[in-house]
Amino acid sequence: MVGEAVAEASPSNRGALPTGFSALDEALRTGGWPRGSLALLDAPRGAGATSLAIGSLAAAQQAGGIVAWIDAAGCLDAATAERLGIQLEWLLVVTPSSVLEAVELAGWLARSGLVDAMALDLGESPDQAGINGLIAGLDRLGKLLVRGRSVALLLSGEWLRAAVARVAAVRLALEREAWLAVGRDLVGQRIRATVTRHRWALAGETASLDLWFGEGRRIDTLLPPLAVPREAAPALLPAALAPAVEVAEAELEEQPGLRVLSA
Amino acid sequence: MTRILALIWPTLRTALPDGYGSHRVPPDEATDVARAVDVPAMLDRLDDLSPRVEAVDRGVALVDVTGLGPSLGDERRIAARAVALVREVATLPVRAGVGENRWLAVLAARLALTARPDPAIPVAFHAFPAGLEATRAVLASLPLALLPADPETRQRFALFGLTTMGELAALPRSAVGAQFGAGGERLQSLARGEDPRPLTPRRRPERLTRRVTFEPPVEGVGGTALVLRRACAELCDALRLRHLAPGRATLTIDLEDAPALAVELTFPEPALEPDWIARLLIGRMEAVSRTRQARDRPEGEGEARVVAIGLALDRLSDPAARQLPAFQAQAGRWEELRWSLERLATRFGEGRLWRARTERPNASLPERQARLRSVGESREDPS
Repeated sequence: MVGEAVAEASPSNRGALPTGFSALDEALRTGGWPRGSLALLDAPRGAGATSLAIGSLAAAQQAGGIVAWIDAAGCLDAATAERLGIQLEWLLVVTPSSVLEAVELAGWLARSGLVDAMALDLGESPDQAGINGLIAGLDRLGKLLVRGRSVALLLSGEWLRAAVARVAAVRLALEREAWLAVGRDLVGQRIRATVTRHRWALAGETASLDLWFGEGRRIDTLLPPLAVPREAAPALLPAALAPAVEVAEAELEEQPGLRVLSA
Repeated sequence: MTRILALIWPTLRTALPDGYGSHRVPPDEATDVARAVDVPAMLDRLDDLSPRVEAVDRGVALVDVTGLGPSLGDERRIAARAVALVREVATLPVRAGVGENRWLAVLAARLALTARPDPAIPVAFHAFPAGLEATRAVLASLPLALLPADPETRQRFALFGLTTMGELAALPRSAVGAQFGAGGERLQSLARGEDPRPLTPRRRPERLTRRVTFEPPVEGVGGTALVLRRACAELCDALRLRHLAPGRATLTIDLEDAPALAVELTFPEPALEPDWIARLLIGRMEAVSRTRQARDRPEGEGEARVVAIGLALDRLSDPAARQLPAFQAQAGRWEELRWSLERLATRFGEGRLWRARTERPNASLPERQARLRSVGESREDPS
């Protein structure tokens, strides 16, 4: 049906799951991760892909969804995920024996239509089974996701990223802009997220995201009063904020501010 | 004229030494027995006596015995028969009482003496006479302590100098209502032997069963899969016509030279999918069989041969009338997902699907703060 095809193609009718970051929701132009999409989080190690995935799953849970973490890498830390907002009660953890099995399990979950969002962590080390079978599996997963209207966030190492790029409906490049610190403690990092591919909207938008480490989310609500730039990196700090740097040193000691450190 | 038989037996609560309404059963002995009581099985046995059986509590059952006299003898004999049926399930010190309504029946059972006037019918039994006037005459001399009153009301009865049921029953109803309120009026009705509450017979749980015998015996549990699937389909078809679906399936397998095996599958919601029910039952049965073979049979010896299989579907309900949890969006869908995960476990094997739970939030290492538990089971991740 033509009408259906139009409706399918239209981002507004497709439906979306919130990413957990309003700036990223806007950058994606679909109000979040488009339902039925496989999204690749293209980031070097430590650049916040896992934190972003956790934030997105937490947002999906907030919206009443059930989420899954397919942990082929064996790296999920449930306690930290909980501190970052995940409700463990509605999180399914899947521990496949191989990367291929991980993709197949993701397909089963997608087909059930009962899991709203899943993170597929394929790990950093190359799988010996061969990349061709994996790409075919991911291609099939993409079709099952469309049928089940769920979202899969793909986290993988360099070995798979280039090959997966053409299978993914959405590709997000993550790059660290700065570290975030309170006092002497690093509490998070500022990430620049660039939409490099989007099947249903224009690509190219960027968003700046503050991702907090395990304990960082706890002080998130306290940050607005604390957010007085102290030793901001000149390149990152707009000129309008420059007077704030001139706050008396004694006052800063009493009220330690959020510091943005150059990455 | 209605005649109701009450049977009371000690439960964990009533066996406590200071428990309200204690039946003065030696606590140690009764507690041990009460733990093992299979109440539904006892009620099933009582169905043989009368179709109208009500389970009031875990320790009280009521049976409508109206009109059973000509076929089963006098009330003492009927009570003895009922007690014998209950004792086929559990050897408990059961007391029996008969009255015109549920209150009188239970009171009679509480008054039943362990002294047995007729050695031929060994049962602790008491019956109130037929007819309300005759019953009131008996009740009049009984102490008010037998009424189910709260301690404060008892105290007030004592302050008014009321000690027997007859004294309370003789007071004008309006005076009792003015002094003791609606609760007092209800107690006065009981003291007069009146109880308007009818006996509400329980609905006998339905269970569909199918048994298939193999001649000659079949090699291994896996060999029964096709037959099981067909049996499952037949039962599900019969249920589908009645708009019912089972909530639980039980598979028993009789082996040629080994004890029988049994597995039970409880569905998160009524399910009418014979293929999957059969696959999941066989999957679980094979796991149980493997475990037993590894434990009991010498290495190299083959799997025991299957003589017969028995399939039972119960907890029947209308799948359209399923009630969904109202306050948590995920709760209802998680139950559906759990059913899908059962299939997933069959396809990929155990040890893949987990739920995380925070167990030691103050542990120094984050990885020790939470633990993975197998979905639907209590098994822990060995790592």
